[in-house]
This record gives sequence, structure tokens and C-alpha cells, in this order.
Amino acid sequence: MKKIGVVRFLGTNCDQDIFDAVAATEGLQAEWLWYEDKFEAGDLDGVVIPGGFSYGDYLRCGALASKVPVMDSVEELAGLGKAVLGICNGFQVLCERGLLPGVLMRNESLKFIDDWSVLKAEKTESPWSLEGELTMPIAHGEGRYFVPADTLESMKKNGQIWLTYSDNPNGSVDDIAGVLNAGKNVAGLMPHPERAVNSWMGGTDGRKLLERFL
Amino acid sequence: MDVSSLMTLEEKLKHYGLSSDEHSLAKKIVGDRDLSQIEWALFSSLWSEHCSYKSSKVHLKNLYGKSDVVVSEDGENAGVVDLGLGERVAFKMESHNHPSFIEPFQGAATGVGGILRDIFTMGARPIALSNYLCFGEAGSDRLENLVSGVVSGISFYSNCVGVPNISGQTEFNKTYNTNNLVNAFALGYYGKDDKIVSSKIKTPGHSVVYVGAKTGKDGVHGASMASESFDEGSEAKRPTVQIGDPFFEKLLIESCLEVMKKGLAESVQDMGAAGITSSSFEMSVGGGLGLELDLSRVPLRDQTMNPEEILLSESQERMLMACDPANVDQIKSIFTKWGLEAVVVGKVRREKEIQIFWKGDMVCEIDPANIVEGAPRYERPYEIAPWEESKTGESTDYDLSKVFSSLQGCSREWIFNQYDQRVGAKTVADCLSPIGIVRLPESGRPLGVVLGCRPLLMELSPELGGYDSVLSPAVQLSIKGFKPWAVTDCLNFGNPQKSGIMGEFVSSLRRMSEACELFEAPIISGNVSLYNETEGQNITSTPATCVVGFRDQVLDDETLEKLPESSFKEAGSKILMVETPQLTWSGYAGDMEASEKWGKGELDPQVTKDFCDFLRPLALEGDFKSSKLVSKFGAFYTLTSMMDDDFGVKIKSNVPLPSLKQEKLYQVILEVDADYELPKNDFKVTDLGVVTSDQTLTSGDFQITGEEIRKQKYKGWEKHFGA
Repeated sequence: MKKIGVVRFLGTNCDQDIFDAVAATEGLQAEWLWYEDKFEAGDLDGVVIPGGFSYGDYLRCGALASKVPVMDSVEELAGLGKAVLGICNGFQVLCERGLLPGVLMRNESLKFIDDWSVLKAEKTESPWSLEGELTMPIAHGEGRYFVPADTLESMKKNGQIWLTYSDNPNGSVDDIAGVLNAGKNVAGLMPHPERAVNSWMGGTDGRKLLERFL
Repeated sequence: MDVSSLMTLEEKLKHYGLSSDEHSLAKKIVGDRDLSQIEWALFSSLWSEHCSYKSSKVHLKNLYGKSDVVVSEDGENAGVVDLGLGERVAFKMESHNHPSFIEPFQGAATGVGGILRDIFTMGARPIALSNYLCFGEAGSDRLENLVSGVVSGISFYSNCVGVPNISGQTEFNKTYNTNNLVNAFALGYYGKDDKIVSSKIKTPGHSVVYVGAKTGKDGVHGASMASESFDEGSEAKRPTVQIGDPFFEKLLIESCLEVMKKGLAESVQDMGAAGITSSSFEMSVGGGLGLELDLSRVPLRDQTMNPEEILLSESQERMLMACDPANVDQIKSIFTKWGLEAVVVGKVRREKEIQIFWKGDMVCEIDPANIVEGAPRYERPYEIAPWEESKTGESTDYDLSKVFSSLQGCSREWIFNQYDQRVGAKTVADCLSPIGIVRLPESGRPLGVVLGCRPLLMELSPELGGYDSVLSPAVQLSIKGFKPWAVTDCLNFGNPQKSGIMGEFVSSLRRMSEACELFEAPIISGNVSLYNETEGQNITSTPATCVVGFRDQVLDDETLEKLPESSFKEAGSKILMVETPQLTWSGYAGDMEASEKWGKGELDPQVTKDFCDFLRPLALEGDFKSSKLVSKFGAFYTLTSMMDDDFGVKIKSNVPLPSLKQEKLYQVILEVDADYELPKNDFKVTDLGVVTSDQTLTSGDFQITGEEIRKQKYKGWEKHFGA
């Protein structure tokens, strides 16, 4: 049984959803991590930073959450090569913390977008490798991924482009929906896998992603 | 020094929104003397139409509101119904019309915040939102600004607080040009271990604890503002609109639910209209016990605030709790954990009077029941215009090329794509579907949410419109296998001092209640918004409803197949139209063509009930692959809306296209297997044709592709509001 920590910041609102989705995945066990408390990095097999408006998106999305005590332990855990997954706001937090390259800016339309999106899994040769197409919901106001051209080139060469949109909804550079760090153990994506884990939700492709923790 | 002390009596009456008769009554209540400054403030807010329901109460008490499934007490913030297996839901709908017209973004945002507090103040976790919006006609003043302001306000607040919007209805009509409607619905969930929390104080000696955001000057006199008609000076009322902070609300939800789950607070009340005044008075009157309230202990954002302003502030995200003094420390530590403040501001008394203190002095002592229950009750004169069939009027054969790009017929996706429809991971059907569906966490059974009220039908006849506010959602639920379970309403009307408008209020409400009783779906909560009038122009009477239904079948991979979708599912299916040919009317097409309104026939709720009872078991069994109520622009428009991306329709040659453009109550479209036959019934059944895979609607020589329809629908929206 692998133990996966689920971080809870003030204001996080997809925490319970991903907690339940992790707990429902065979072979995974979910544990809460409170923002003020550091944890023993050796005790966990992986961490999820959930989506949803930590600190009300004040200052910049993810900026405040990236500086709280629990993130010191997350960074330590990432340093041990263990799996870290940031979803939506969690992706923004990981970028703000510097654990993932790039930034997430206001959507090109300047509006919040809620929709289903079709994603293409890119070749990464990593524990996060997925195959083919995956359909998952997106719900964000600031999901437009950006990195400078030279970083983008090296990310491509290194297999750090993880997921791309088949119909770019937000103006992200190179249709990017999800990326990996250079060590390929830290992953971030804007779509919500936890909202696609039962057929009654409209799809089950999110499960494939969570199973990568195994 | 307060300027109001320099006012003449006449100026004071205007400032505080009291009539001179009400002023005399108030003086009598306090013991035949002049009102103190504080008392002026108390009477002003508690006797406002918004807080006292003084024009509507005599009619509301006759509504069908009780049944075996209702488990909430009277006088609580929302109604609660039992769904069996220990699961219950609390829900309510509320208007934020006036603030949203003055300041659309904050007005709509705080409307969402307010309705959420009504739900979680009772111990229920909010799991769904919905909204009913009415705006002015194409080209009306500020239309674009109002629509985008209201939509982004709802989006801003609900997305951040993390409650999904799962359904919505948006109407456009010229009577809303200068008075839009923003009605927000919220639904909260109780699992088998969760308790319903009351707002009524019960134990003398208990501490009164103020929790949440600090009090500021925003929203002072908001309740009385919302109880007046608009005039040219409405611009100046912007400071009476409150400012919302959804981050704070989220923290308040988590901390309050934690306190309630641990059973630490005996009663909880949110501070809504008229802020701490109405919350403390309601807690006190409900429990029959008085309170001591020390205003100098209230956390302030602005230290210059005087007692009157503190009493009337409508600053958002605040609650009042009463608890055993022994629990105070534990409550404080829970709020501290969530980054919020909890401060003891008073205690529950053995006597029934409320005593208000300011810097050591008692500034007011009053029996709240005298104000709340002694509030004026008006039996406003009313005139009812009963439904009479139109003598003239004929079927409208509208121009097909116009309908999709018209304001009424165009896409609404621009609106709901800005709402998070899936946060909470319970959404089964989102705003694209006419019925929003969430799956209950413990039992896995689906709950359906459908809004009702067609302003155009209300204009034709308040009686028919009143019936339809309930019947139309009931049909929509039934064709998906849901039983209408309970109802909430939001009654938006013009000036009640006009006998015609009061007549529309009385007659539509009566019909709604009748329909609810027939379906045994009680009206468990609601809100009245009167004085929707600007410079003499009254809105179309709009008794909006939200009917909550319940499908008694666990939703899993297997039963999901049985839940009818709202768009076609399979090429080769047969398309049936089943109807209760009761009423044919001019409808939305008539409105688009600017022709006179007419209606032929009657509306019999019993026939509609039989129709629902016939279809519901079939829908539950999985007989329908997809189903949809025929609504605006008739069956033709409904068929096109079911085509989605993948399918088309071939209409049979014996079904003339013009017959599919009539608007009738009630018709439904059902997609069934090619060899399926409905059981024997008394309704009119027409075999319309088949679902095709060519993404085109064909009827004789007429053809239109799904892509063309979609393009026109988007263009229609863009033409008015931009991309």
C-alpha cells in the first residue's frame, strides 16, 4: 500500500475530491497534510497538491501557498525523488515554489473556463508516462502556461512536456496542459483528474493518471 | 455627531424608510415616547419589507409547506427535507436584484455568499448552486455591462468558495431593462451523522460569539434600500452594496461546520440583511429569550463606526453563535486554526428583552418580539385577472434563420462556461442539461435541480405562469425518472401597493401552491422581493422556483445507462413526441416576432400530474435513451438542441414542420429503441422520425446542419455580448 499525502492550505477547495479519488484507487492510501505542519518526508510515498483557490488566489495564484511550512517538507520529499503531483492550483503552487519550470498566466480570453478537454499524452519516459488521449475537465482562470523559448526547447529535449491540449483553451505556449521537472518525479497539470474517475462523472481517464503513483 | 439628529421628522421618516403610521406604531411599542437613535435604526431595518415580509406574510402562510418529508422547523434559514437512509438536504433561493443592478459584480457575488450562509448556518455542507437571471431586451441600456458583471460576480464567488453551479436559466425581456433579477439557489447536504442546527437560542447563560470577518461600513441600510423602488438617485446608493470575500466564506464554512459537527454550538445564525440586528433578534425571538449584546466588543474594520452603523452594517461573511461558556475556548481554537476570529460579544438572558451596550452604557433595552412580531402586516388590496382563453391569435410560423441567433434562442454557454460546474466531484449533469444533477455522497442516489418560471407566460396569465413555475420543472424531472420532492421559490414582483400587481402575486402564488400540493412537493423555503420598480416601470411578475427531485436508484456504472440523457445517444433510435395538448400559446416565437400574446386552451395540473406519473417509472426503468421537455420555440428547436455534435434527425414526411414550431404545454421528446412501443396511455403520441448519424436535421426539402446551428447560436450571443 502506498501512502500519498494530500496537502490542505487555507482556501483549498478540491482537497476532499482528490483525497477521495486517491483513497478509491487500489493500492493507494490517502493522508491529510495540514499547511502549518511539516512532515517526515521518508514516511510518505508521494504527495498531491490539490486544486482550488488556496488563499483566495490573493497576490498571485499559488504564491502564498508556496511559502508555507508544509511546502518545505514537500520540497524535501521531491528531493528524495518521490512522486509529487500538482493539480490546477497545485500546479501553480509548484511553479511558484520553483519545483516546476514556467508560470501560469490569465487565460487568453481573460475569463474563467470550465469545460471538458481532450489531452494528448507526450513521450516522457518517466514514472508519469501516459499513453494516447485522455479526456478530463478543466476549470481555471489562470491556466495559460508560459516558459521562455530556450527553457521550452530544453524541456522538449529532456521529455518534460507531459500533456498537451488537442484544442488549446487558454493560450498556453505549445498547447501545454502539464509538465514535469527535470528529474521527472514532479508533475503538474491544469486539468482535474479527480473529476474523471467514475463513469457518472462523464469519464474515467483520471484514474489512469492517479495509477501512476503505483 | 450624527447628522440624523439634525433631521426634521419628515426627513427622518424618509431616511429610515418608515411611513408616519409605522412611526406612530413604533412609538406605541416603546411606550409612547420618541424613538432613540438606536431604535430608529432597529425599526428601520426590522420593519423593512425585506426583513418583515409585511406585504406578503398574510399570503405566504397559506402556502402548501408541510409534509412528512419536511424535517426543518418554521422560522429557520432554509427548509430541510428527508431523503431516507439518513440523508437530508437543505435548500433555499434568494434574490439580490437591487444590489446587482446598482453594482452587478459585487451584487451578484454577495448574493451567492448570502444564500450559501443560509445553508451552512444550519449545519449542511453546500454542494450545489444554481441561478435564475433576468435581464433587459437587446439594446437596452447597460445590458452588456449588467450581464458580464453579474456572471463574473457569480463566477468569482462560487468558483473560489468551491461550490459548483449545476443549472441556470437566463431570460431577456424589456420589463427588466431598468431592474434586473438575480436569484441564487443553494443546496446543502447532511449525511447520516450530521445534525440540523437551529438558529433559536435555548439556554440562559450561554455565551454569544461573533465569528468571521470584521464589521465595516459597507451595506449600512442595505435592507431598507432593497425594499424601495428605484429612482434617479439610485446611483448614490452604491455604498449600500456589500463587498464579498469568497476566501473568507470558504474558511467560515469549514470552521463553522467543524464547530457544529463537534456539537459545540447550540444555535447559529448568519448575519444577512440588517446584519447583527436581524440575526440577534431572530435568534432571540425564535427562542423566546433575551440577549445582552456589547457592541464595543464587535471586531471593527473602521474604528470610527458608531453603534447605529454597527447594528445595521451588512458586512459579509459573519455569523453569530450561542454556546455553552465551557465551549468558548474550543470554538476559538477552531476558528484560529482556520485563520478567523471568534469573540464573545454577549450572553443569553433569562428575561426576554434584548439589551444593547456601548462602552459600558446600556443604549437600548427592548423586547424583540414587540418589534418582530409587532411589525405591521398589510393586507394590500388586490385584483385578480382570471385566465381567459384569447379570442384572437394564431400560430406563429417563425423564420428559422432568425431563431438561433436571437437573444432568446442563442447559446448560453458563454455564461455557464465561466462557472465551475464540477468542483466537489458530485456533478452528474451540468448546466448544459435542463436538469442539474448531483450524486449524494453516502447513498450514491442522484438529486435533480430544475429552475422554473417563464416571464412571457406570466405576462399572458399569472395563473398559468404560476402553475407552470412548478409543472414545467416537474415534467422535466419526471422524464428523467426523478420524483419532485420539494420546492423553494423566489417571488420577484413590482410595487405591492398597486392592486393589479398584488393580484398577480396572490393568484400566481395560489396556483403554484396548488400544483405543489398535487405533487406532494412542499414549498420549504423562499424569499420575496417586492418593489422591483424603476421610475414607475414594474417588472413582469416573476415567481421563480427551484424544484428539487430525487431518483430512487443508486447511480453506478450499470444504472447510469438507465438515466436518460438530454441529447441523442444512438443513430437509428426512434423519436417520439408525447403530449398533453392543453394549452397552445404565442410563446418565445411570438415574442421574437413582436406579435401580440395569445393562448388557447386550459392548463389542468391533474392532467400534467398524470402525465408525469405515466412517464417517470418508464424513465426509471431505462426506457428512454434521452428525453427533453419541449420549451421555447417548440419541438423543432428542442430537436436541434438534442443533436449535439454527433447526431442528426430525419423527420417523417407526415409530420409538417410548422406543426413543430408551435409552443404547447406540455410536450416531451423521447428517444427510444426503434422497436419500442409506449405502454397504453391517454396521451397524444407522435412518431416524429429517427436519429441519424449525419449531423443534419432533415424535414422534406428543409435541411440544417448541427454545425450551422451551433455557429448561429454562438454568433447570436456574440452579436450582443462579444466573444
